[in-house]
Amino acid sequence: MQDKIEGQSKGNIVMVTEENAMPDSRDGQSKNTIIMVTEGPSIPDPREWRIVNAWSIALAGAVITLCCLAWFKPEPYREILTFVPDGLAATFQVTLLSICCAVPLGLLTGLGRISRNRLINLVASTYVEVIRGIPLLVQIFYFYYALSGLLQLSRTAAAVISISFCYGAYMGEVFRAGILAISKGQTEAARSLGFNRFQTMFYVILPQAWRTILPPIGNECIAMLKDTALVSVVSMPDLMQRARSFANNSYLYFETYTVVALIYLIITLLLSKVVSIMESRLNYYDGKR
Amino acid sequence: MMENANPNSIISIRNIWKYFGKNVALQDVSLDIAAGERVVVIGPSGSGKSTLLRSINRLEEIDRGHILVQGKDITDHHNDINVMRRNLGMVFQQFNLFPHKTVLQNVTLAPIKLLKLSRKKAEDRAFALLKRVGISDKANVYPAQLSGGQQQRVAIARALAMQPAIMLFDEPTSALDPEMVGEVLDVMVNLAEDGMTMVCVTHEMGFARTVADRIIFMDQGQILEMGAPDRIFTAPRHPRLRQFLNQIL
Repeated sequence: MQDKIEGQSKGNIVMVTEENAMPDSRDGQSKNTIIMVTEGPSIPDPREWRIVNAWSIALAGAVITLCCLAWFKPEPYREILTFVPDGLAATFQVTLLSICCAVPLGLLTGLGRISRNRLINLVASTYVEVIRGIPLLVQIFYFYYALSGLLQLSRTAAAVISISFCYGAYMGEVFRAGILAISKGQTEAARSLGFNRFQTMFYVILPQAWRTILPPIGNECIAMLKDTALVSVVSMPDLMQRARSFANNSYLYFETYTVVALIYLIITLLLSKVVSIMESRLNYYDGKR
Repeated sequence: MMENANPNSIISIRNIWKYFGKNVALQDVSLDIAAGERVVVIGPSGSGKSTLLRSINRLEEIDRGHILVQGKDITDHHNDINVMRRNLGMVFQQFNLFPHKTVLQNVTLAPIKLLKLSRKKAEDRAFALLKRVGISDKANVYPAQLSGGQQQRVAIARALAMQPAIMLFDEPTSALDPEMVGEVLDVMVNLAEDGMTMVCVTHEMGFARTVADRIIFMDQGQILEMGAPDRIFTAPRHPRLRQFLNQIL
Protein backbone atom coordinates (compact mmCIF):
# COMPACT_ATOMS: atom_id res chain seq x y z
CA MET A 1 0.00 0.00 0.00
CA GLN A 2 1.23 3.43 -0.83
CA ASP A 3 1.26 6.26 1.56
CA LYS A 4 0.84 9.78 0.43
CA ILE A 5 1.34 13.04 2.16
CA GLU A 6 -1.77 15.06 2.26
CA GLY A 7 -1.13 18.72 2.78
CA GLN A 8 -4.09 20.78 3.69
CA SER A 9 -5.06 24.09 2.27
CA LYS A 10 -5.14 25.85 5.59
CA GLY A 11 -1.69 24.56 6.29
CA ASN A 12 -2.20 23.66 9.90
CA ILE A 13 -2.17 19.89 9.73
CA VAL A 14 -0.06 17.56 7.72
CA MET A 15 -1.16 13.98 7.69
CA VAL A 16 0.34 10.89 6.22
CA THR A 17 -2.64 8.82 5.32
CA GLU A 18 -3.54 5.74 3.46
CA GLU A 19 -4.02 6.22 -0.24
CA ASN A 20 -7.26 4.36 0.08
CA ALA A 21 -9.63 5.70 2.69
CA MET A 22 -11.82 2.62 2.58
CA PRO A 23 -10.71 0.01 5.08
CA ASP A 24 -9.29 -2.92 3.16
CA SER A 25 -9.81 -6.06 5.13
CA ARG A 26 -7.24 -8.33 3.65
CA ASP A 27 -4.18 -6.40 4.62
CA GLY A 28 -3.54 -6.83 8.32
CA GLN A 29 -0.50 -4.61 8.39
CA SER A 30 -0.61 -1.73 10.77
CA LYS A 31 -0.78 1.61 9.11
CA ASN A 32 1.82 4.24 9.62
CA THR A 33 -0.47 7.13 10.16
CA ILE A 34 0.93 10.06 12.01
CA ILE A 35 -0.61 13.37 12.77
CA MET A 36 1.64 16.33 12.96
CA VAL A 37 0.60 19.76 13.99
CA THR A 38 2.44 22.69 12.55
CA GLU A 39 0.34 25.64 13.51
CA GLY A 40 -0.17 27.31 16.83
CA PRO A 41 2.01 26.91 19.88
CA SER A 42 3.53 23.46 19.91
CA ILE A 43 2.09 21.14 22.51
CA PRO A 44 4.84 20.80 25.12
CA ASP A 45 6.23 17.31 25.32
CA PRO A 46 5.80 16.14 28.94
CA ARG A 47 9.07 14.23 28.72
CA GLU A 48 10.85 17.52 28.23
CA TRP A 49 9.68 19.39 31.24
CA ARG A 50 12.76 21.40 31.69
CA ILE A 51 12.68 24.87 33.21
CA VAL A 52 14.16 26.45 30.11
CA ASN A 53 12.31 25.64 26.95
CA ALA A 54 10.54 27.59 24.25
CA TRP A 55 7.24 27.36 26.06
CA SER A 56 8.47 28.67 29.40
CA ILE A 57 10.54 31.42 27.79
CA ALA A 58 7.56 32.59 25.77
CA LEU A 59 5.19 32.50 28.73
CA ALA A 60 7.59 34.16 31.16
CA GLY A 61 8.51 36.75 28.55
CA ALA A 62 4.89 37.60 27.85
CA VAL A 63 3.86 37.80 31.49
CA ILE A 64 6.91 39.82 32.51
CA THR A 65 6.54 42.21 29.59
CA LEU A 66 2.90 42.80 30.37
CA CYS A 67 3.59 43.36 34.06
CA CYS A 68 6.50 45.69 33.37
CA LEU A 69 4.47 47.73 30.93
CA ALA A 70 1.64 48.09 33.42
CA TRP A 71 4.04 48.89 36.27
CA PHE A 72 6.51 51.24 34.66
CA LYS A 73 4.28 52.85 32.10
CA PRO A 74 0.82 52.90 33.63
CA GLU A 75 -0.20 55.58 31.17
CA PRO A 76 -1.61 54.26 28.81
CA TYR A 77 -1.05 50.56 29.51
CA ARG A 78 -3.19 50.28 32.61
CA GLU A 79 -5.99 52.00 30.79
CA ILE A 80 -5.68 49.52 27.94
CA LEU A 81 -5.54 46.65 30.39
CA THR A 82 -8.75 47.72 32.08
CA PHE A 83 -10.61 48.36 28.85
CA VAL A 84 -9.61 45.56 26.49
CA PRO A 85 -10.05 42.37 28.62
CA ASP A 86 -13.80 43.04 28.74
CA GLY A 87 -13.77 41.30 25.38
CA LEU A 88 -12.40 38.08 26.87
CA ALA A 89 -15.89 36.96 27.83
CA ALA A 90 -17.07 37.16 24.23
CA THR A 91 -13.89 35.51 22.97
CA PHE A 92 -14.27 32.58 25.35
CA GLN A 93 -18.00 32.37 24.75
CA VAL A 94 -17.56 32.07 21.00
CA THR A 95 -14.66 29.64 21.41
CA LEU A 96 -16.44 27.33 23.84
CA LEU A 97 -19.69 27.28 21.90
CA SER A 98 -17.76 26.61 18.70
CA ILE A 99 -15.82 23.76 20.32
CA CYS A 100 -19.08 22.24 21.55
CA CYS A 101 -20.42 22.28 17.98
CA ALA A 102 -17.23 21.59 16.03
CA VAL A 103 -16.03 18.50 17.91
CA PRO A 104 -19.24 16.47 17.40
CA LEU A 105 -19.42 17.77 13.84
CA GLY A 106 -15.81 16.72 13.30
CA LEU A 107 -16.50 13.27 14.73
CA LEU A 108 -19.49 12.83 12.44
CA THR A 109 -17.47 14.07 9.48
CA GLY A 110 -14.58 11.76 10.28
CA LEU A 111 -16.94 8.78 10.59
CA GLY A 112 -18.63 9.85 7.37
CA ARG A 113 -15.32 10.02 5.57
CA ILE A 114 -14.51 6.41 6.44
CA SER A 115 -18.06 5.17 5.98
CA ARG A 116 -18.65 2.37 3.53
CA ASN A 117 -21.92 3.98 2.59
CA ARG A 118 -21.16 5.84 -0.64
CA LEU A 119 -23.70 8.58 -0.10
CA ILE A 120 -22.61 9.39 3.45
CA ASN A 121 -19.00 9.27 2.35
CA LEU A 122 -19.69 11.63 -0.54
CA VAL A 123 -21.60 14.11 1.63
CA ALA A 124 -18.82 14.21 4.24
CA SER A 125 -16.05 14.48 1.65
CA THR A 126 -17.82 17.23 -0.26
CA TYR A 127 -18.40 19.18 2.94
CA VAL A 128 -14.71 18.96 3.78
CA GLU A 129 -13.63 19.96 0.28
CA VAL A 130 -15.99 22.93 0.12
CA ILE A 131 -15.19 24.29 3.57
CA ARG A 132 -11.46 23.86 3.17
CA GLY A 133 -11.57 25.89 0.01
CA ILE A 134 -13.24 28.95 1.54
CA PRO A 135 -11.45 31.33 3.90
CA LEU A 136 -12.95 31.52 7.37
CA LEU A 137 -13.33 35.28 7.04
CA VAL A 138 -15.49 34.79 3.96
CA GLN A 139 -17.54 32.17 5.80
CA ILE A 140 -18.18 34.59 8.67
CA PHE A 141 -19.30 37.31 6.24
CA TYR A 142 -21.41 34.77 4.45
CA PHE A 143 -23.35 33.64 7.50
CA TYR A 144 -23.76 37.12 8.92
CA TYR A 145 -24.28 39.32 5.87
CA ALA A 146 -24.94 37.18 2.81
CA LEU A 147 -27.51 34.99 4.50
CA SER A 148 -29.02 37.81 6.56
CA GLY A 149 -32.07 37.95 4.30
CA LEU A 150 -32.66 34.28 4.89
CA LEU A 151 -31.54 33.54 8.44
CA GLN A 152 -31.27 36.76 10.48
CA LEU A 153 -28.57 35.28 12.68
CA SER A 154 -27.33 37.13 15.71
CA ARG A 155 -23.65 38.05 15.79
CA THR A 156 -22.87 35.26 18.20
CA ALA A 157 -24.83 32.69 16.23
CA ALA A 158 -23.20 33.69 12.94
CA ALA A 159 -19.76 33.60 14.56
CA VAL A 160 -20.30 30.22 16.22
CA ILE A 161 -21.88 28.62 13.16
CA SER A 162 -19.23 29.77 10.73
CA ILE A 163 -16.33 28.80 13.01
CA SER A 164 -17.95 25.44 13.83
CA PHE A 165 -18.52 24.61 10.19
CA CYS A 166 -14.98 25.55 9.32
CA TYR A 167 -13.31 23.69 12.17
CA GLY A 168 -15.69 20.75 11.92
CA ALA A 169 -14.20 20.04 8.52
CA TYR A 170 -10.63 20.25 9.74
CA MET A 171 -11.38 18.17 12.82
CA GLY A 172 -13.12 15.64 10.61
CA GLU A 173 -9.79 14.99 8.95
CA VAL A 174 -8.12 14.60 12.34
CA PHE A 175 -10.76 12.13 13.51
CA ARG A 176 -10.49 10.22 10.26
CA ALA A 177 -6.71 9.92 10.50
CA GLY A 178 -6.88 8.99 14.17
CA ILE A 179 -9.42 6.25 13.54
CA LEU A 180 -7.49 4.86 10.58
CA ALA A 181 -4.35 4.78 12.71
CA ILE A 182 -5.82 2.03 14.91
CA SER A 183 -4.65 -1.30 13.57
CA LYS A 184 -7.01 -3.45 11.58
CA GLY A 185 -6.45 -6.23 14.10
CA GLN A 186 -8.45 -4.33 16.72
CA THR A 187 -11.47 -4.21 14.46
CA GLU A 188 -11.07 -7.87 13.56
CA ALA A 189 -10.76 -8.92 17.19
CA ALA A 190 -13.91 -7.01 18.13
CA ARG A 191 -15.86 -8.23 15.10
CA SER A 192 -14.80 -11.83 15.73
CA LEU A 193 -16.29 -11.61 19.25
CA GLY A 194 -19.61 -10.60 17.71
CA PHE A 195 -19.55 -6.80 18.00
CA ASN A 196 -21.18 -5.01 15.09
CA ARG A 197 -19.54 -2.08 13.31
CA PHE A 198 -21.11 0.53 15.54
CA GLN A 199 -20.19 -1.26 18.78
CA THR A 200 -16.68 -1.89 17.51
CA MET A 201 -16.23 1.79 16.78
CA PHE A 202 -17.53 2.97 20.16
CA TYR A 203 -16.17 0.31 22.52
CA VAL A 204 -12.85 -0.45 20.88
CA ILE A 205 -11.68 1.97 18.19
CA LEU A 206 -12.67 5.45 19.39
CA PRO A 207 -11.41 5.01 22.97
CA GLN A 208 -8.00 4.21 21.50
CA ALA A 209 -8.12 6.73 18.67
CA TRP A 210 -8.93 9.44 21.15
CA ARG A 211 -5.31 9.42 22.31
CA THR A 212 -3.96 10.11 18.86
CA ILE A 213 -6.74 12.55 18.19
CA LEU A 214 -6.61 14.62 21.36
CA PRO A 215 -3.39 16.61 20.77
CA PRO A 216 -4.32 17.81 17.27
CA ILE A 217 -7.92 18.44 18.36
CA GLY A 218 -6.63 20.41 21.33
CA ASN A 219 -4.47 22.40 18.98
CA GLU A 220 -7.41 22.99 16.67
CA CYS A 221 -9.31 24.36 19.66
CA ILE A 222 -6.46 26.72 20.44
CA ALA A 223 -6.28 27.78 16.80
CA MET A 224 -10.03 28.30 17.01
CA LEU A 225 -9.60 30.66 19.93
CA LYS A 226 -7.13 32.66 17.88
CA ASP A 227 -9.41 32.68 14.87
CA THR A 228 -12.25 34.13 16.94
CA ALA A 229 -10.35 37.39 16.49
CA LEU A 230 -11.85 37.35 13.01
CA VAL A 231 -15.37 37.70 14.34
CA SER A 232 -14.53 41.25 15.36
CA VAL A 233 -15.31 42.12 11.74
CA VAL A 234 -19.00 41.57 12.43
CA SER A 235 -18.65 43.78 15.54
CA MET A 236 -18.74 40.89 17.96
CA PRO A 237 -17.42 42.57 21.13
CA ASP A 238 -14.52 40.18 21.62
CA LEU A 239 -10.97 40.88 22.72
CA MET A 240 -9.94 42.01 19.25
CA GLN A 241 -12.99 44.22 18.77
CA ARG A 242 -12.38 45.92 22.12
CA ALA A 243 -8.80 46.54 21.09
CA ARG A 244 -9.88 47.96 17.75
CA SER A 245 -12.31 50.38 19.30
CA PHE A 246 -9.77 51.47 21.90
CA ALA A 247 -7.08 51.99 19.28
CA ASN A 248 -9.42 53.84 16.95
CA ASN A 249 -10.41 56.26 19.67
CA SER A 250 -6.98 56.79 21.21
CA TYR A 251 -4.76 56.33 18.15
CA LEU A 252 -2.51 54.21 20.39
CA TYR A 253 -2.17 51.44 17.83
CA PHE A 254 1.23 50.15 18.91
CA GLU A 255 0.41 50.06 22.60
CA THR A 256 -3.04 48.53 22.19
CA TYR A 257 -2.11 45.77 19.80
CA THR A 258 1.01 44.93 21.82
CA VAL A 259 -1.19 44.28 24.83
CA VAL A 260 -3.70 42.28 22.78
CA ALA A 261 -0.95 40.17 21.24
CA LEU A 262 0.49 39.41 24.69
CA ILE A 263 -2.93 38.50 26.08
CA TYR A 264 -3.63 36.10 23.20
CA LEU A 265 -0.15 34.63 23.58
CA ILE A 266 -0.53 33.98 27.31
CA ILE A 267 -3.93 32.35 26.84
CA THR A 268 -2.80 30.03 24.05
CA LEU A 269 0.39 29.07 25.88
CA LEU A 270 -1.57 28.15 28.99
CA LEU A 271 -4.10 26.19 26.98
CA SER A 272 -1.38 24.27 25.16
CA LYS A 273 -0.10 23.20 28.57
CA VAL A 274 -3.58 22.03 29.53
CA VAL A 275 -3.73 19.93 26.36
CA SER A 276 -0.33 18.46 27.11
CA ILE A 277 -1.39 17.45 30.62
CA MET A 278 -4.59 15.87 29.31
CA GLU A 279 -2.55 14.01 26.76
CA SER A 280 -0.17 12.55 29.32
CA ARG A 281 -3.15 11.44 31.45
CA LEU A 282 -4.40 9.44 28.49
CA ASN A 283 -1.21 7.42 28.31
CA TYR A 284 -2.08 5.34 31.34
CA TYR A 285 -2.15 2.00 29.56
CA ASP A 286 1.26 2.19 27.93
CA GLY A 287 2.93 0.55 30.89
CA LYS A 288 6.20 -1.19 30.30
CA ARG A 289 6.78 -4.61 31.65
CA MET B 1 -30.75 -26.12 0.40
CA MET B 2 -27.20 -27.37 0.14
CA GLU B 3 -26.46 -30.54 -1.68
CA ASN B 4 -24.38 -33.13 0.17
CA ALA B 5 -24.00 -31.10 3.35
CA ASN B 6 -22.97 -33.63 5.94
CA PRO B 7 -25.46 -33.49 8.81
CA ASN B 8 -22.80 -34.59 11.31
CA SER B 9 -20.42 -31.78 10.54
CA ILE B 10 -20.37 -28.61 12.63
CA ILE B 11 -18.59 -26.76 9.83
CA SER B 12 -19.35 -27.54 6.23
CA ILE B 13 -17.27 -25.77 3.63
CA ARG B 14 -18.65 -26.18 0.12
CA ASN B 15 -16.73 -25.27 -3.04
CA ILE B 16 -15.50 -21.90 -1.87
CA TRP B 17 -13.49 -19.50 -4.01
CA LYS B 18 -11.72 -16.36 -2.92
CA TYR B 19 -9.85 -13.85 -5.04
CA PHE B 20 -7.58 -11.01 -3.99
CA GLY B 21 -7.68 -8.88 -7.10
CA LYS B 22 -6.56 -11.24 -9.83
CA ASN B 23 -4.87 -13.66 -7.47
CA VAL B 24 -6.86 -16.66 -6.46
CA ALA B 25 -6.47 -17.39 -2.74
CA LEU B 26 -8.89 -20.30 -2.46
CA GLN B 27 -9.85 -22.52 -5.37
CA ASP B 28 -12.90 -24.66 -4.97
CA VAL B 29 -12.12 -25.73 -1.40
CA SER B 30 -14.49 -28.12 0.33
CA LEU B 31 -14.11 -29.45 3.84
CA ASP B 32 -16.26 -30.98 6.56
CA ILE B 33 -15.36 -30.69 10.21
CA ALA B 34 -17.16 -32.76 12.82
CA ALA B 35 -18.17 -31.51 16.26
CA GLY B 36 -15.33 -32.07 18.69
CA GLU B 37 -12.81 -32.59 15.92
CA ARG B 38 -9.36 -30.99 16.09
CA VAL B 39 -8.21 -29.98 12.66
CA VAL B 40 -4.78 -28.54 11.99
CA VAL B 41 -4.11 -26.76 8.73
CA ILE B 42 -0.52 -26.68 7.52
CA GLY B 43 1.12 -25.43 4.37
CA PRO B 44 3.64 -22.92 3.05
CA SER B 45 2.93 -19.22 3.50
CA GLY B 46 0.58 -17.86 0.89
CA SER B 47 -1.09 -21.23 0.52
CA GLY B 48 -4.47 -19.82 1.58
CA LYS B 49 -4.68 -21.51 4.98
CA SER B 50 -5.27 -18.29 6.92
CA THR B 51 -7.76 -17.14 4.30
CA LEU B 52 -9.63 -20.42 4.68
CA LEU B 53 -9.74 -20.01 8.46
CA ARG B 54 -10.80 -16.37 8.28
CA SER B 55 -13.54 -17.27 5.80
CA ILE B 56 -15.19 -19.46 8.41
CA ASN B 57 -16.19 -16.45 10.55
CA ARG B 58 -16.47 -14.18 7.53
CA LEU B 59 -13.53 -11.96 8.36
CA GLU B 60 -12.87 -12.70 4.69
CA GLU B 61 -15.86 -12.59 2.39
CA ILE B 62 -15.65 -15.46 -0.03
CA ASP B 63 -16.51 -14.86 -3.67
CA ARG B 64 -18.26 -18.14 -4.39
CA GLY B 65 -19.42 -21.19 -2.48
CA HIS B 66 -21.03 -21.71 0.91
CA ILE B 67 -19.91 -22.23 4.48
CA LEU B 68 -22.35 -23.77 6.93
CA VAL B 69 -21.65 -23.41 10.61
CA GLN B 70 -23.98 -25.49 12.75
CA GLY B 71 -26.24 -25.80 9.74
CA LYS B 72 -26.48 -22.05 9.09
CA ASP B 73 -24.97 -20.51 6.00
CA ILE B 74 -22.64 -17.71 7.06
CA THR B 75 -22.58 -16.35 3.51
CA ASP B 76 -26.34 -15.82 3.67
CA HIS B 77 -26.85 -12.19 4.58
CA HIS B 78 -30.20 -13.01 6.15
CA ASN B 79 -28.32 -14.72 8.95
CA ASP B 80 -26.96 -12.32 11.54
CA ILE B 81 -23.21 -12.77 11.29
CA ASN B 82 -22.68 -10.97 14.61
CA VAL B 83 -24.71 -13.59 16.42
CA MET B 84 -23.05 -16.44 14.53
CA ARG B 85 -19.59 -15.12 15.36
CA ARG B 86 -20.32 -15.52 19.08
CA ASN B 87 -20.06 -19.21 18.47
CA LEU B 88 -16.78 -18.92 16.59
CA GLY B 89 -14.00 -17.89 18.94
CA MET B 90 -10.92 -16.60 17.17
CA VAL B 91 -7.32 -16.23 18.27
CA PHE B 92 -5.00 -14.11 16.15
CA GLN B 93 -1.31 -14.23 15.41
CA GLN B 94 -0.88 -10.68 16.78
CA PHE B 95 -3.08 -11.32 19.88
CA ASN B 96 -5.07 -8.12 19.20
CA LEU B 97 -5.93 -7.53 22.82
CA PHE B 98 -7.64 -4.21 23.49
CA PRO B 99 -4.75 -2.12 24.85
CA HIS B 100 -6.97 0.42 26.61
CA LYS B 101 -8.66 -2.26 28.72
CA THR B 102 -7.24 -4.33 31.55
CA VAL B 103 -6.90 -8.08 31.19
CA LEU B 104 -10.14 -8.56 33.11
CA GLN B 105 -11.96 -5.95 31.01
CA ASN B 106 -10.69 -7.59 27.83
CA VAL B 107 -12.28 -10.84 28.89
CA THR B 108 -15.54 -9.36 30.25
CA LEU B 109 -16.26 -6.73 27.57
CA ALA B 110 -18.03 -8.97 25.06
CA PRO B 111 -20.00 -11.06 27.61
CA ILE B 112 -21.27 -7.90 29.32
CA LYS B 113 -22.12 -5.96 26.17
CA LEU B 114 -23.26 -8.79 23.92
CA LEU B 115 -24.55 -11.53 26.20
CA LYS B 116 -25.87 -8.94 28.71
CA LEU B 117 -24.23 -10.76 31.59
CA SER B 118 -24.06 -8.90 34.88
CA ARG B 119 -20.62 -7.57 35.73
CA LYS B 120 -20.37 -10.00 38.61
CA LYS B 121 -21.25 -13.00 36.48
CA ALA B 122 -18.93 -11.94 33.67
CA GLU B 123 -16.06 -11.43 36.11
CA ASP B 124 -16.63 -14.80 37.73
CA ARG B 125 -16.50 -16.37 34.31
CA ALA B 126 -13.41 -14.35 33.41
CA PHE B 127 -11.55 -15.32 36.58
CA ALA B 128 -12.30 -18.98 35.95
CA LEU B 129 -10.94 -18.67 32.41
CA LEU B 130 -7.89 -16.68 33.46
CA LYS B 131 -7.15 -19.35 36.02
CA ARG B 132 -7.49 -21.97 33.36
CA VAL B 133 -4.94 -20.21 31.12
CA GLY B 134 -2.73 -19.60 34.15
CA ILE B 135 -2.75 -15.82 34.53
CA SER B 136 -5.40 -15.03 37.12
CA ASP B 137 -2.84 -12.95 39.02
CA LYS B 138 -2.63 -10.47 36.12
CA ALA B 139 -6.33 -9.64 35.95
CA ASN B 140 -5.90 -5.94 36.63
CA VAL B 141 -2.90 -5.08 34.49
CA TYR B 142 -2.95 -3.69 30.96
CA PRO B 143 -1.88 -5.88 28.04
CA ALA B 144 1.24 -3.79 27.41
CA GLN B 145 2.60 -5.03 30.73
CA LEU B 146 2.36 -8.68 29.70
CA SER B 147 4.72 -10.87 27.71
CA GLY B 148 3.63 -12.13 24.32
CA GLY B 149 2.81 -15.56 25.66
CA GLN B 150 0.72 -14.09 28.45
CA GLN B 151 -1.09 -11.81 26.01
CA GLN B 152 -1.94 -14.72 23.77
CA ARG B 153 -3.29 -16.70 26.71
CA VAL B 154 -5.49 -13.73 27.63
CA ALA B 155 -6.65 -13.62 24.01
CA ILE B 156 -7.66 -17.28 24.27
CA ALA B 157 -9.53 -16.55 27.51
CA ARG B 158 -11.25 -13.60 25.85
CA ALA B 159 -12.46 -15.78 23.00
CA LEU B 160 -13.58 -18.53 25.40
CA ALA B 161 -15.58 -16.05 27.48
CA MET B 162 -18.25 -16.06 24.78
CA GLN B 163 -18.47 -19.85 25.26
CA PRO B 164 -18.08 -20.60 21.56
CA ALA B 165 -18.72 -24.03 20.12
CA ILE B 166 -15.73 -23.70 17.83
CA MET B 167 -12.32 -22.12 18.26
CA LEU B 168 -10.33 -20.82 15.30
CA PHE B 169 -6.59 -20.29 15.77
CA ASP B 170 -4.70 -18.26 13.17
CA GLU B 171 -1.00 -19.03 13.69
CA PRO B 172 -1.31 -18.35 17.43
CA THR B 173 2.36 -18.93 18.21
CA SER B 174 4.02 -17.39 15.14
CA ALA B 175 4.56 -13.98 16.72
CA LEU B 176 5.94 -15.38 19.98
CA ASP B 177 9.49 -15.67 21.21
CA PRO B 178 10.47 -19.34 21.16
CA GLU B 179 10.51 -19.70 24.93
CA MET B 180 6.86 -18.62 25.11
CA VAL B 181 5.47 -20.97 22.50
CA GLY B 182 5.18 -23.83 24.99
CA GLU B 183 2.91 -22.03 27.46
CA VAL B 184 0.42 -21.15 24.72
CA LEU B 185 0.47 -24.62 23.20
CA ASP B 186 -0.14 -26.11 26.65
CA VAL B 187 -3.34 -24.08 26.94
CA MET B 188 -4.42 -25.23 23.50
CA VAL B 189 -3.68 -28.88 24.26
CA ASN B 190 -5.69 -28.52 27.44
CA LEU B 191 -8.56 -27.06 25.43
CA ALA B 192 -8.36 -29.88 22.90
CA GLU B 193 -8.53 -32.46 25.67
CA ASP B 194 -11.78 -30.87 26.85
CA GLY B 195 -13.37 -31.71 23.51
CA MET B 196 -13.51 -28.23 21.99
CA THR B 197 -13.90 -28.18 18.21
CA MET B 198 -10.71 -26.55 16.98
CA VAL B 199 -9.43 -25.40 13.63
CA CYS B 200 -5.84 -24.32 13.90
CA VAL B 201 -3.47 -22.89 11.34
CA THR B 202 0.03 -23.43 12.67
CA HIS B 203 3.65 -24.18 11.89
CA GLU B 204 4.08 -26.12 15.13
CA MET B 205 4.36 -29.65 13.80
CA GLY B 206 4.85 -31.16 17.24
CA PHE B 207 1.55 -29.65 18.34
CA ALA B 208 -0.14 -30.79 15.13
CA ARG B 209 1.05 -34.30 15.71
CA THR B 210 -0.05 -34.59 19.32
CA VAL B 211 -3.36 -32.74 19.16
CA ALA B 212 -4.82 -33.06 15.67
CA ASP B 213 -7.43 -35.62 14.70
CA ARG B 214 -6.80 -34.63 11.14
CA ILE B 215 -4.19 -32.65 9.30
CA ILE B 216 -5.00 -30.62 6.21
CA PHE B 217 -2.20 -29.71 3.84
CA MET B 218 -2.82 -26.70 1.62
CA ASP B 219 -0.88 -25.18 -1.21
CA GLN B 220 -1.86 -22.56 -3.78
CA GLY B 221 -5.37 -22.24 -2.46
CA GLN B 222 -6.19 -25.92 -2.58
CA ILE B 223 -6.32 -28.79 -0.14
CA LEU B 224 -3.78 -31.21 -1.54
CA GLU B 225 -3.88 -33.86 1.14
CA MET B 226 -5.54 -34.63 4.42
CA GLY B 227 -5.42 -37.41 6.93
CA ALA B 228 -4.48 -38.56 10.40
CA PRO B 229 -1.26 -37.01 11.68
CA ASP B 230 0.68 -40.29 11.78
CA ARG B 231 -0.15 -41.01 8.19
CA ILE B 232 0.57 -37.46 7.01
CA PHE B 233 3.95 -37.27 8.72
CA THR B 234 5.13 -40.82 8.06
CA ALA B 235 3.63 -41.57 4.68
CA PRO B 236 2.91 -38.34 2.79
CA ARG B 237 1.58 -39.04 -0.68
CA HIS B 238 1.52 -35.75 -2.50
CA PRO B 239 4.99 -34.72 -3.75
CA ARG B 240 4.35 -31.13 -2.67
CA LEU B 241 3.63 -32.30 0.88
CA ARG B 242 6.78 -34.43 0.92
CA GLN B 243 8.78 -31.44 -0.23
CA PHE B 244 7.15 -29.21 2.41
CA LEU B 245 7.80 -31.68 5.22
CA ASN B 246 11.40 -32.09 4.13
CA GLN B 247 11.89 -28.37 4.31
CA ILE B 248 10.49 -27.88 7.79
CA LEU B 249 11.33 -31.10 9.65
